[in-house]
Amino acid sequence: MQLILDYLGSVIIGAALLLVVLNANEMVSENQSVYNGDMLVQEMLVESAHFIEGEFRNMGLGVPERQCAILYADSGNIRFLYDIDRNGVPDSIRYFVGVPSELPGTQNELDRPLYRQVNSEPRHAIGVVTSFQMRYLTRSAVGIPRPVDPARLGEIHSVEITMEVQNPYAIIGSGGVAKEGQRSELYSSSLWQQTRLASWNSRR
Amino acid sequence: MSTNNMLLSIGAFVILTTILSNVYGILGSTGDNISEAQDMILANTIASSYLEIAQGLAFDHITDTSDVAIANAMALTAADLLGPDGSDEDSIAGFTDIDDFNGLTFETTATGSDKRFKTEFKVSYVDPNNIDAISATQTFVKRLDLKIWRSFPPPEGLATDTLRMSHIMGYFHFD
Repeated sequence: MQLILDYLGSVIIGAALLLVVLNANEMVSENQSVYNGDMLVQEMLVESAHFIEGEFRNMGLGVPERQCAILYADSGNIRFLYDIDRNGVPDSIRYFVGVPSELPGTQNELDRPLYRQVNSEPRHAIGVVTSFQMRYLTRSAVGIPRPVDPARLGEIHSVEITMEVQNPYAIIGSGGVAKEGQRSELYSSSLWQQTRLASWNSRR
Repeated sequence: MSTNNMLLSIGAFVILTTILSNVYGILGSTGDNISEAQDMILANTIASSYLEIAQGLAFDHITDTSDVAIANAMALTAADLLGPDGSDEDSIAGFTDIDDFNGLTFETTATGSDKRFKTEFKVSYVDPNNIDAISATQTFVKRLDLKIWRSFPPPEGLATDTLRMSHIMGYFHFD
């Protein structure tokens, strides 16, 4: 009898231990995918941000003093001049966001490509964002209505950029709807960045 | 169950518990690292924004409106008087020169988040030949030191990371 009780006890304890280990294993793999997703999003954001920061800083470089460096300014679309190849002729650089339908292969309904176009060359996607907003401020830090009236382009003193990147693929939950600017139930690893860039060269 | 079996079982439990607690510990620290990296991205953007603003300001209150300091560094604001120049410079929008940041601390809420970050500024004259050496007298080079850390939610356990950045501004002219 004692032997049977020993066996039964061992089986129960063994089963409990197995459950604990399986649970831990599941938790590890779930967390690992969440952390990987978070890291991926951070890397995507930082890469795009570095690119933009570097180029916006050069806005107006090599542009004649009496010429306005910014040619067009809207919330998700900017075109400015900058002599990118130092040949004495200013080039036109354009940054703009595409539409979500351009990325039909991803689960995230809000992600869209961020494009860069030099002169009339074909556009190139430099990143994937869920939000890319620009605000234009005067020297007194007053916002200028967008799209900026061509007569007021010269008043732009700094550009405030807000960028959000979400994971293209759902990590936790399903069936939820991601809302712009918020961490959603479906895409838990959304990130954002805000920076204000004031280019010396753009001030005319 | 014999004593040997009992001891073996207890030993197995101890090993299993140790392994599990290590696994959970590693998971927790990875999560902390990811979260800390996100905080540092936010801190970096806030700090960059301040530095961008600082770069757009004049070198000194006197150089903003006159050129008397071109040949005479002593005409610049004295080292112990660096800071906002008047009551109209009570906010960043009113700042006219880089040393207006001196001694100030700002708290900012990161956009899209309830996290708050405190930024502390210090502006000093530095030796033009050695920008690491702070000068007690006026020179034509100033250094803005900035440090930023998360103030809310307050750090738990270990102290939160502090991000430090510096910006050097010189006052030179070319004839």
